[in-house]
Amino acid sequence: MDRITLDNVLPRVFEGEDLSGSQVWRSSLTFERGRNYVVEAPSGTGKSSLCAFIYGNRRDYQGRISFDGSDIASISPDAWQNLRRTQLAYLPQELDLFPELTAMQNVCLKNDLTGHVSHEQIRAWMTSLGLADRIDFPVGKMSIGQQQRVAIIRAICQPFSFLLIDEPVSHLDERNNALAARIIMTEAERQGAAIIATSVGNRIGITTHVELHL
Amino acid sequence: MKKLLRRLLHRNLSRTQLAGFVLSNFTGLAIVILGVQFFMDARPIWDDEESFIRKDYLVINKHITAANTLGQASSAFTPQEIKELEAQPWVRRVGEFTSANYRIYASVQTGGHHMSTYMFLESIPTDFIDVAGDDWTFTPGDKSVPIILSKDYLSLYNFGFASTVGMPTISESAIKAIPLTLSIRPDNGQPPCDIEGHIAGFSNRLNTILVPEQFMTWSNATYGEGPTPPPSRLIVDVSSPGDVKIAEYLKAHDLETAGDKSGSQASFLVNVIAGVALAVGVVITLLSFFILLLSISLLMQKNRQKIHSLIMLGVDLKNISAIYVRLVLGVNLLSLLLAVGGMLLMRMQYLPALRGMGGAAGNILPSLLTGVGITLLLIIFNVVSIRMKVKRAFLNC
Repeated sequence: MDRITLDNVLPRVFEGEDLSGSQVWRSSLTFERGRNYVVEAPSGTGKSSLCAFIYGNRRDYQGRISFDGSDIASISPDAWQNLRRTQLAYLPQELDLFPELTAMQNVCLKNDLTGHVSHEQIRAWMTSLGLADRIDFPVGKMSIGQQQRVAIIRAICQPFSFLLIDEPVSHLDERNNALAARIIMTEAERQGAAIIATSVGNRIGITTHVELHL
Repeated sequence: MKKLLRRLLHRNLSRTQLAGFVLSNFTGLAIVILGVQFFMDARPIWDDEESFIRKDYLVINKHITAANTLGQASSAFTPQEIKELEAQPWVRRVGEFTSANYRIYASVQTGGHHMSTYMFLESIPTDFIDVAGDDWTFTPGDKSVPIILSKDYLSLYNFGFASTVGMPTISESAIKAIPLTLSIRPDNGQPPCDIEGHIAGFSNRLNTILVPEQFMTWSNATYGEGPTPPPSRLIVDVSSPGDVKIAEYLKAHDLETAGDKSGSQASFLVNVIAGVALAVGVVITLLSFFILLLSISLLMQKNRQKIHSLIMLGVDLKNISAIYVRLVLGVNLLSLLLAVGGMLLMRMQYLPALRGMGGAAGNILPSLLTGVGITLLLIIFNVVSIRMKVKRAFLNC
């Protein structure tokens, strides 16, 4: 998948509102593979909605979203699940980890769907993000910052053309932000993929090609 | 990964609910397949014409009143009345009793005793006779006529007459060996005719002296005076002997039934009891199905967030369903196995008694197929329900 195009897309909750300043809503916008995007906006302007619309888990919008020219409204459930394993990687703001599983089990659950990277690679990423002593620790007992790092690693443990990361470093300090950004960038570049990151201010330190305001 | 999926999606699993399902489904299934198996094992009893249970025949005649005695009313059935009876929904077929239209007496010469008596003969279509063998036929020119006697007559002789007058009692096989002479004394100008007869069997059902229909047709044509009289008794094959409509019809038309009806009543009672047992089994099975359906629904509801998160990860919907489908398969197969085991155990208990009544170990395939069929239906309904719920979870993500 090379292109994600938004044509005149608007969350239904914003119907009737003046969004003339937005570079995303009610405009024509294409995300291209190989480029990095940061969507900057204050809270409540639809950053998570944008990710959810593209990821196909919310459909409450007007307009048209297409992958390589095909409207995503016509994608079947099975095809969506396939896209989520092979084309679209997503780190939701709420992380969606399983608290009763360990960090390793949470990541393996995703990685084992495609066998994308080795368990050694996962351990190496965890170690570089400061989680070496938390690999076999239940996620539910970790701090939110640690959980966010586990979720970042899980998000990249699959083949993808587009990586959607919704406020990925909101709970990370500068050092961990930089470490996470490097791992994400390296993996995205290796796969020739695009990164679409949202931010309310604490922006992930990736090379940004396009900056958008909602 | 499957292990992790199972660990996540089996969370909140209520073992008590599943045990409740297994217990109730086992009970329901066991009742149903035991019913089917009992039917298979007891079928020889049904099929046996002489059995206590098979007799779905009624012998009916008009109520005899003083008017009949005085000759002012006929006890015979008109063709119109027979046609009306045949049209009743509970009637399978109707057979007519044909009486001999000439005088006849029978004599026996045995052990120095000579017995002779006026008698009567009747015939009915061969299909209605419970003890008709291959030799139940007659062709003019034959030396001997087969005769079927009511078992009651032999009992009357052995236990009433013989003991009173000092005659020897006679067994069924002995009497079959005694040669009879039937002496026809016609009033139509034909010369008298003596013909040999032999007892071919004893009937529980028919309270008369029967000769083959062919003999009756020939002898009435040859020695009878005038046309053959219309029948005054009819034998009716009924579809459901306990049907109240039969009693209502007989009462409305002033008809009586003759002979032993206990067989019909037993058949009716067995049918009712089997029907009730099967219905109870089916109801319990249905209820157990709802227990499982609700248990799985509740489990999926409790794990809604986990199902949502797995869908977000890209786990195939069928892999999520499969965890619950496997659960459904497991508990259903377990209850089927228990039910089959229970059925076989119960069967071991009743078979000896059933064999004594004429039953036999029947084929167990129909009951197994019934169990498997019901289980498959339950599984299919549950699987469809699970898949729909997972799909709904995807759409509501």
